[in-house]
Amino acid sequence: MAFTPYDWNQAVQQRMDYIEERLRDGSPVVALSLPDGVLMVTVHRTQRKLFEIYDRLMFGGIGNQSDLEAARMAAIDFAHREGYQRSPDDVTAHRLVGSVLSPAIKRAFADPFSAPFVFRGLFAELGDFPAADQFFTLNYDGEFRRETLYAVAAGASEAENRMLALLHAHVDQATRREAALRLALEAWAVGRLHARRAPDDEEAARPSDAAAVLQDALATGTLEAALLERHSRRESRFRLLARAELEPAVADYRRGAE
Amino acid sequence: MHDIQDYRAGGRSLPWPPSARRFADLVGDLVPSLPPGSSPTAGEVVDTHGTTVIAVKYNEGVLNLGDRRATANMAVMFDRAEKVITLDDYTLMAISGSFARGMEIARYLQHAFKYYRRTEMQEMSLEGKISEVSRAIAGNLPMALQGIGAFLPITSAYDPKTNEGRIFFYDGMGARFETAEFGAAGSGSERIRGAFDYIIRTRKPFRAMTLAEALRECLILLDIAADLDAATGGFTKVLPIARAITREGIVDIGIDVMRQAVAEVAEGGRRRAEGEA
Repeated sequence: MAFTPYDWNQAVQQRMDYIEERLRDGSPVVALSLPDGVLMVTVHRTQRKLFEIYDRLMFGGIGNQSDLEAARMAAIDFAHREGYQRSPDDVTAHRLVGSVLSPAIKRAFADPFSAPFVFRGLFAELGDFPAADQFFTLNYDGEFRRETLYAVAAGASEAENRMLALLHAHVDQATRREAALRLALEAWAVGRLHARRAPDDEEAARPSDAAAVLQDALATGTLEAALLERHSRRESRFRLLARAELEPAVADYRRGAE
Repeated sequence: MHDIQDYRAGGRSLPWPPSARRFADLVGDLVPSLPPGSSPTAGEVVDTHGTTVIAVKYNEGVLNLGDRRATANMAVMFDRAEKVITLDDYTLMAISGSFARGMEIARYLQHAFKYYRRTEMQEMSLEGKISEVSRAIAGNLPMALQGIGAFLPITSAYDPKTNEGRIFFYDGMGARFETAEFGAAGSGSERIRGAFDYIIRTRKPFRAMTLAEALRECLILLDIAADLDAATGGFTKVLPIARAITREGIVDIGIDVMRQAVAEVAEGGRRRAEGEA
């Protein structure tokens, strides 16, 4: 079978449209660096969405569940093989995303005979201090980006930009965990709202729309927040925050609470 | 190495029927097999050995203590060896015998436990962890039979189901035995085994002791082992290492607490030796 350049461009465009359309409805993931550690936040309907990968690595993402699972397993396998055969210090998000996952996902995307990954992932690596934390976002076409202090993965790039703008403006005031949770939730709502809006929707969204989105989401779903603890003496630094720890941040948005 | 496509449901090489993922499948055999016909003898390969380690229950969990000496035949190879190793937040392993194999198996088990937790998103059961240790010892048997690499651990854990500390020791083939009160392994351990029973009968069971009491008894036992076994380092030169497991996880016994406890025990020993007490 032969492809002309026109066919190839068109095939790629169709794949992108197909994937973008399916990602649009994904629940965004927000990650922030705090003095306490790295916080990752999302709202899920039924399944867990935030996962421990290695001693200082965690992962969250949007997309097809089995594609996320494939990426999670591949990441855990790489990290543990590497950590055992060399040392835990040799397991970094940069190596994991840049040299293991990105080429493999790019290959699946570019191969016309395989289903592409419906996937947008966010990997967080805990450093010794907040500025040393690293975030990598990895896209379905293998493109990845390194960020510091905060990062997001959402259903559309417009939504991601709005989330990043919000985080950029307020991240300095969110050094305590509860404030960070609130900020992450606000960013989540903005991302959710804008990812779902049709790309040609010219009407400006009002701030109250985001609050309504959040209220809806918390009524039907569950807030999920994971922390990689910076100063823990435990072997395992990753933990999901308990309900009681999340409650103060979500109380304002609960329907019927007032 | 797998392609990421293999990880997807319906991927080419997804095993069927499905089985739980094992860390061993990922990194291969723990023990490198010896070439056929080779039979190294003790004269050719000198294996560094860790000596005496002790585990006792106390009222909040389990205390592990070990001296710091590692020997190779008659030579003291190292006097800062750490023989009480944290496998995960609820499991300790105190190693005796081949230091090389002990450390490698500890690293392997640390990874096997956390690999399970992260892939399966639940903690491996205590029973599962204990069996994994047995398998590692059994896998080591071909080497041990050739005279190198024999290694025997004591595994201690806090059991969240029964809310108590538990102690397991093993034989060379990987059979595991659970002890009610204490376990000891290494060259000095046989010399002091009866002393554990003497303490239980004349003072009180270890499980009724506070951490300070248990630490004191363990230090005396280690001191006796060092007196009776040339390979055991005791605590006069380098402080022993102790760790405890409680409901809240692993507790490292700090250097100040250890220094104080050692000073008290040493003072008691000195007085007895000089006939003051």
